[in-house]
Amino acid sequence: MNYGTLIVGNGPAAHRLAGQLRHHGHQGAITVLGAEPRPAYNRALLTSVLACTLSADDLVLPRLPENVQVRLGITATRIDRVRRAVYTDDGTVYRYDQLVLATGARPNAPAITGLTSSDGGFSEGVRAIRTVSDCEDIPDGRTIVLGGGVLGVETALALRHRGQDVVLVHPGPYAMDDLLDESSGRLLLVHLENVGVKVFPGARAAEYAPGKLALDDGHVLDADTLLLCTGIRPNIELARAAGLAVRTGVLIDDHLRTSDPHIYAIGDCSEHRGAKPGHIAPAWEQAEQLARLLTGHNARYVGTRLVVRLRTSSIDVASFGSPGENTDRLATESVTLSDPARGRYARLILRDQRIVHAVLVGLPRAIASISQLVSRSLPVPSSRLALLLGTSADHWSNAELPDDAVICVCNNVTKKALTCAWRDGARELTNLVRTTRATTGCGSCQRAVERIYRSLSSTTETSGAT
Amino acid sequence: MTGTLVVIGHGMVGHRLVTDLRVKDRADAWRIVVLAEESRPAYDRTALSSYMAGKSAHDLTLVDHDFLRDPLVDLRLGTVAASVDRGSQTVTTTDGTDLGYDALVLATGSRPFVPPVPGHDAPGCFVYRTIDDLDAIRAAAVSGRPGVVIGGGLLGLEAANALRLLGMRPHVVEMASRLMPLQVDDGGGRVLAKLVGELGLRLHCGAAIRSVDTGTDGRVCGVTLADGSVLDTELVVFSAGIRPRDELAGPAGLGRAQRGGFLVDDQCRTSDERIWAVGECAAVNGRCYGLAAPGYRMAEIVVQQLLGFGGAALPLPDVSTKLKLLGVDVASFGDAHAMTAGVLEISYVDNTDSTYAKLVLSPDARVLLGGVLAGDASAYPVLRPLVGHELTAPPEQLLFGGAN
Repeated sequence: MNYGTLIVGNGPAAHRLAGQLRHHGHQGAITVLGAEPRPAYNRALLTSVLACTLSADDLVLPRLPENVQVRLGITATRIDRVRRAVYTDDGTVYRYDQLVLATGARPNAPAITGLTSSDGGFSEGVRAIRTVSDCEDIPDGRTIVLGGGVLGVETALALRHRGQDVVLVHPGPYAMDDLLDESSGRLLLVHLENVGVKVFPGARAAEYAPGKLALDDGHVLDADTLLLCTGIRPNIELARAAGLAVRTGVLIDDHLRTSDPHIYAIGDCSEHRGAKPGHIAPAWEQAEQLARLLTGHNARYVGTRLVVRLRTSSIDVASFGSPGENTDRLATESVTLSDPARGRYARLILRDQRIVHAVLVGLPRAIASISQLVSRSLPVPSSRLALLLGTSADHWSNAELPDDAVICVCNNVTKKALTCAWRDGARELTNLVRTTRATTGCGSCQRAVERIYRSLSSTTETSGAT
Repeated sequence: MTGTLVVIGHGMVGHRLVTDLRVKDRADAWRIVVLAEESRPAYDRTALSSYMAGKSAHDLTLVDHDFLRDPLVDLRLGTVAASVDRGSQTVTTTDGTDLGYDALVLATGSRPFVPPVPGHDAPGCFVYRTIDDLDAIRAAAVSGRPGVVIGGGLLGLEAANALRLLGMRPHVVEMASRLMPLQVDDGGGRVLAKLVGELGLRLHCGAAIRSVDTGTDGRVCGVTLADGSVLDTELVVFSAGIRPRDELAGPAGLGRAQRGGFLVDDQCRTSDERIWAVGECAAVNGRCYGLAAPGYRMAEIVVQQLLGFGGAALPLPDVSTKLKLLGVDVASFGDAHAMTAGVLEISYVDNTDSTYAKLVLSPDARVLLGGVLAGDASAYPVLRPLVGHELTAPPEQLLFGGAN
């Protein structure tokens, strides 16, 4: 136990792990190998750089403690599991007692004719959004964003925010269709169109040539730049070459351990219980749990409730949990707010008063409250509507029923008519009914009349006593 | 000085008009002749399903002993008006009797709409409107056999329930994508379909009928739907909506609304100042209402005018409904379909209890504008009077706050 912990990768997960290892009292050496030449930064905020609302420097994560060794611009090339050593591209060999793979992922390049050039790289005008350098120097002119997931929508809105001509091409019926239901998806679509993003839903790219993108529905679009937001592929080559169990990602158990007990994996390169990679929240939590485990604490990672909040200034969109996650048949309750005139929509699926899934559009205060409720697994307040509108139950005064409210529709009897009949001496329910005809039609107002009768009786008694 | 009022039709609204007039006409200014087409006096048509459940025609009657003995009311059962001569102020009945009038009220009601598909009038086809209709269905029903109801609205479901009570296995064919399309929205329709489906009703929503098929004996032997599927049955009940009975209008030179009904103003008066129309046959400013409550308002307004208190206009009718169909609560009130511009909707579905509740609210969520309840309508008495007013508590408290 004298080589300490080696972390391969310097993304958000690796950075959080290194910091938290020290925080939880890790005694041995900690070494971080970063392939990118720049210090660790928060990749989840890249689209804010695209929108020019943050600079690249704003994304840089806090400095790690002095006794964490961070080596930048170094790529691990091979793991020797027997010697417990990692070989790198500058010839240095790093030994470890425990190795953590946080190698991240790279953009997934869909199979489109003409997308890649003969040298294996992207053709002219094609790029992905994965690193800070990807966000620099995006040419003016028309940009086609391929893929309407979270990254694609954020990217399209960011570029539009900068004033660029943006087209979004998405194979699903509406953007973010894996996270939103149809109503919220439609609202987002309307918003994208309103701010000037031209959207081609239900379409796939078929063929690319510099300057042109042909879709499978026959459209041919001019394209100065083609931005790929078509998902990611975990970087598993190092692990696979070392003989570790991999599927889409490096397979890990609830202790974040790979098939080698000395090797762990976290973040986008890992695959836990089949969960899809590419979200920042599981990466943060895996780093935290692993830091606890490696410092002798009791910890277990059982998955992260998916929380997705669109990062854009122009519309508030959030999704909590996965839609349709075994929720339909179980004892659940759903609440839907629909306010198309103001572009607001919410759908909550609750079980035992707790949120198992939620989709919200245009409701920033509700999104904030629900984030709190979800992260702390708290029950929702009894007034769901107050929660969704970001107000309190006091929003509805405990007013009296107004005098002109019609109590019995069949016979057009108002509350006032009942009160007058009472004042005129109809002091028994039967008299009240005979005098006003209330309840003698369909009978559905029976309880309402009884309630008014009780209220009249009690107020009269009270005033009689004073 | 006593005038003669002739009322054509003795349904729920015609009867209400007569009784209301008799209560308020303290000077006995009017003698009333009522022409009732059916062989029995007015009865509660909204309670027809209870007749199938075992109540007698007597239980449903709206007429009491005093009414029948009233010397100023001349009720003529089994009598049909054939024409109105406005010049001589005379109504002629089909048996050739001429009745002079000083005032005339048309309360002829509606008839069921039967789509003109092939076979629609074959033996084995029925409608669901009168006690006689129910007696005919009862006589034709064969326990254990399927029966097909055309129309999944309020009356169609009542008819399906009637078939069920007769031991038949009902199918319901509805053109719209959900049951009760006028009263409930998609969410309410889903809960309703689930609950009535559990009771054994076979639902065919979004389905149109192509033909009623007949055997060599000319009797109904099945129903073919537009998609080609065939429902095996010997009994078909049409309840695909109603049409106002306004045949008297044309020959009398009275106006008809575009979609039928005697055209009347907001005081229910036709273009002839001595003639009014009330109930389902009246097109108030062009629109007919197929519910009892708006009809009662019309009757009251006409009585005011007959007694010389005139003036009041019919307020915009409240088309709220609450009913228990096949043991399933359904209610619809106010702007149930959120047609008002700029409103917001909040809906609640409980999968455990199979209930659905939707409220339509003003943009600030304070004023109740309408709603739909299915599976549990216990909040209806609290909510319906609040339509157009500020909510008196958070909506969840009003909806689920308990039994009081």
